[in-house]
Amino acid sequence: MTVWEPADNGHADLSSHDSFVDGPPHNTFARLRREDPLHWTEYPGGQDFWSVTRHADILEMNRNWEVFSSARGIRMEDQTEEEYLARRTFQETDPPEHSRMRMKLARAFAKPVMARYEDDIRELCHDILDRALEKGTFDATKEIARQLPMRMLGRVVGLPEEDLPWLVEKGDALIANTDPDFTEHVLDRMDTDEYRMLPFNSPAGAELYEYAQELMARKEREGDTSGVLHLIREPADDGSVISETEFRNFFCLVVAAGNDTTRYSIAAGIQAMCHQPELLEQMKEGGDIWKTAPDEIIRWATPALYFRRTATRDFEMHGKTIRAGDKVLFWFASANRDEAVFDDPFRVNLSRSPNRHLSFGQGGPHVCLGMWLARLEVRVLFEELARRLKSIEPAGPHRFLRSNFVGGIKELPVTVVPA
Amino acid sequence: MKVTWKLPDGSEITAEVTHGQTLMEAALANNVPGVIGECGGCMSCATCHVVVDEAWRAATGAPGEMEDAMLDVTAAPRQPASRLSCQITAAPELDGLVLIVPEE
Repeated sequence: MTVWEPADNGHADLSSHDSFVDGPPHNTFARLRREDPLHWTEYPGGQDFWSVTRHADILEMNRNWEVFSSARGIRMEDQTEEEYLARRTFQETDPPEHSRMRMKLARAFAKPVMARYEDDIRELCHDILDRALEKGTFDATKEIARQLPMRMLGRVVGLPEEDLPWLVEKGDALIANTDPDFTEHVLDRMDTDEYRMLPFNSPAGAELYEYAQELMARKEREGDTSGVLHLIREPADDGSVISETEFRNFFCLVVAAGNDTTRYSIAAGIQAMCHQPELLEQMKEGGDIWKTAPDEIIRWATPALYFRRTATRDFEMHGKTIRAGDKVLFWFASANRDEAVFDDPFRVNLSRSPNRHLSFGQGGPHVCLGMWLARLEVRVLFEELARRLKSIEPAGPHRFLRSNFVGGIKELPVTVVPA
Repeated sequence: MKVTWKLPDGSEITAEVTHGQTLMEAALANNVPGVIGECGGCMSCATCHVVVDEAWRAATGAPGEMEDAMLDVTAAPRQPASRLSCQITAAPELDGLVLIVPEE
């Protein structure tokens, strides 16, 4: 049984969010990998772009940050210089500027530091799973996948538990800004110009800005130095400190990007369990499978469907010329199904090794800062879930987010039988 | 040139490495477990951490400033001869190099 059949006719418009409502158009990606791996893609909403779909090409280009710069934005949507400066985080910078901020944060998100959260995560999983599973039939994205990253956000960042639902709602409005289920200000369907200086062109950005400011003021008054926010405000070796704008943008990034990606990895893993019943058996056997399963689940999910770069000079590839100033999209979603790298890419194989998926943007300076936390959350969640289950099956069709940027199952009805 | 990786389980991988390649790239090409190289050699991840065998410390040199900072965030504890293998390039004078993959 295949886990999921792509629905597109092989010629989907990659620039349209609507092409992703039934999941990523993988027939189109497969055709492009085969026939046109550097594909000129028309974009009615702005400047046309190059779509890169092969794993090997993305890996090669991603490390080449001098040619493929992040400093003109990382999404398909075009920004003016003014908007870019107002909204950017270190995601939208190149080395060495990027490296300075990255160093600062790398300590907070290092693997051994994240490993200390394992007990916290397990405790949260007990609570989340006990509540969800007793319902019998429920939406696994809402009741399980959404819960864990949200509550971990509170612990890692140092936020009050009672603020978390509000924060996650705002984070969703930011990052899922093309799905009417998550925001009233759908990016490509109305004039969001009023909010163009805010993260993701969203009014939720303004509310998060305000929240961050009040939070830090309160923390300062109370001498509370918990969590990573404190760390990034510390002066660097050269005495420089992060600006207010940079700080607020970083806060939005953590709330939005650090949250829904792990959610959609968990959701995709549960969806795979529903369609490949052997996965639950393998998880129950445990052992070495837990060394490889998290990465396979995260490959399967690919929550960040693409990141965009901008060419700083002309570059030849596959007999074509990418011109300086051209927009280039690295389709991680396609790379993670590349048959040249992955055997049977449309099946979940929990013991896949090596597993050189690109879900974390591997191969370049911007590789996901939170990847160790993500892997840890995914491992512990599925360890605890498998332990509690006798069976899990779909209780209706699942629905994907309307977005060509964030790949996620927003609704996942399941029926479980507890072990 | 030849490079040997000593693994935590006591086994070894020896491989022929092309000059100019980094030792991270060489490890990936030879499926050396424990050397991951998530950031492609951009010093953003510290997942290509190795410990240089005593006999080869002088020949491989000391870490640079950025590398030094990233060595503080490795998964396995840092040791005096720790390096990021993306910052060591295969060259004739390193023929026979021995690298130890540290245990987490």
